[in-house]
Amino acid sequence: MKKYESVYITLGGMKVQRKVSIGLATIFIVCMIWFALTTGFGIVPSGRFPSPSETWSALIHVSGRGYGGGDLSMHVYNSLRLVVMGFLFAIATGVPLGLLMGWSRKAEAFINPIFLIIRPIPPLAWIPLAILWLGLGDSAKIMVIWFSAFVPSVINTYAGVRNIDRPVLEAAYMLGMPKVRFVAEVLIPGASPMIFTGLRLSLQASWTTLVAAELVGAFYGLGRVLNVAQQDLYPGMILVGMIAVAILGWGTTRVLGMVETWALRWNTAALAAKG
Amino acid sequence: MGVIEFKSVDKIFGPRATGFRALEDINLEIRDREFVAIVGPSGCGKTTCLRMVAGFEDATAGVVSVDGTPIKRPGPDRAVVFQQFALFPWKSVYDNIDLGLRNLNVSRSERETRIAAILDLMNLTQYAKHFPHQLSGGMQQRVAIARAYVLDPDVLLMDEPFGALDAQTRVVMQEELVRLARKNPRTVLFITHAVEEAVYLADRVAIMTRAPGRIKEVLDIASIRNAENWDSYEKIEDVMDLESFVHLRTHIWRSLREEKAAQHV
Repeated sequence: MKKYESVYITLGGMKVQRKVSIGLATIFIVCMIWFALTTGFGIVPSGRFPSPSETWSALIHVSGRGYGGGDLSMHVYNSLRLVVMGFLFAIATGVPLGLLMGWSRKAEAFINPIFLIIRPIPPLAWIPLAILWLGLGDSAKIMVIWFSAFVPSVINTYAGVRNIDRPVLEAAYMLGMPKVRFVAEVLIPGASPMIFTGLRLSLQASWTTLVAAELVGAFYGLGRVLNVAQQDLYPGMILVGMIAVAILGWGTTRVLGMVETWALRWNTAALAAKG
Repeated sequence: MGVIEFKSVDKIFGPRATGFRALEDINLEIRDREFVAIVGPSGCGKTTCLRMVAGFEDATAGVVSVDGTPIKRPGPDRAVVFQQFALFPWKSVYDNIDLGLRNLNVSRSERETRIAAILDLMNLTQYAKHFPHQLSGGMQQRVAIARAYVLDPDVLLMDEPFGALDAQTRVVMQEELVRLARKNPRTVLFITHAVEEAVYLADRVAIMTRAPGRIKEVLDIASIRNAENWDSYEKIEDVMDLESFVHLRTHIWRSLREEKAAQHV
């Protein structure tokens, strides 16, 4: 295992420690410029964009007394919960369908036309219908997330199966694999680099759709915070909502990235070997 | 047992009338535990012959059978070693070799014994936990050979197995294969375009014509090898210096050259 560690650490030709410190320095500089433009020289009026101190007080406000129907942790919890549920629901249906389509020409011929009709519809266009059907509660949001996250996971899984080297598949046939084992030990791992590409896209789509759906109508959630803050003309709170979404999006992507690194450790070795 | 038989086999890719005629009237019997190499110009259909025995392609006409049973589908009784190795990159060396045995429902303890033995035989023991991509091409092909041999198949099908290796590794692998094949003889169908390799390894060499491929000539190498006692030489270059070897090699070269020349007319 020692060998892979060195591979990770020098990814992109740079030591991780160095990368982190450069990243922190960048964030620090952006904050300084932000401070200078708002509080420092007053070039940007606080009605247009909040100063760091206004943002900080908005954060204290929403974390303590609460805002838009709940405190920050409640909003975060609700948004995160819905994204995770919608995302898991989407990949639990999307990945198997992608495997089936990649594997069976019949299934592909049958399902592809449906996809060609549904794909051009932007996922956000489903929001009104979802709210009409399921109201402002969780289920409407999960449905909309499912619509947006489902498509990338299907398409990339499908492409992943089609990308498996033919000799590798033939080797599997030659070894006389039982069906379930073939799916679990050849089809899924063979397609997994592309499956993970699909999952990353699905996760991004989940966050985009959730925030949009909460903007349209919700009782809790970070989208709700953004919506109420907009109506209240409260720039500091808008920024808090945006930063919270950014941090959660980054965090969930990070978790997925860790799962990916672990699941594809064989592939990391492969990519390193190819140089 | 492992008798491979081609009986009046034709192979046409695409529609019968207009498709590509790859093979025409192939007749060949490979006896039990015989090592037969097929050589021929590129595109002559030699790999197609192997793929039909493996069960990856159907014959358009005629019958390909093993022990009298026509081949319907791939199976572990006919283990294949592919030119591109075709290892499972997500499985360790050990798990790659283990997979076929698990499919055959061999007990865990027996699997462990057999894998340990084959790893030892192929000098792979210390790489058991490595992933394929951490190994050189020669090592990967050794794993692929181990994966095939461990199944103890009736028939071993090798499709230009050393074609992707550099010259030095190739020679080492050829010597090892000879060692393995003499120690543990199987029916082997070996496809190659390297003439020396065919003469060095095989009991008989079948020469094919350019497409549509037919079997032009089958040379008996084994009787000469035994008469001249080639196996007593440890190194391939010593065998390759022998007059009998040179004679056979030149004969096959000429035969292939004729095919090449005919192609350009």
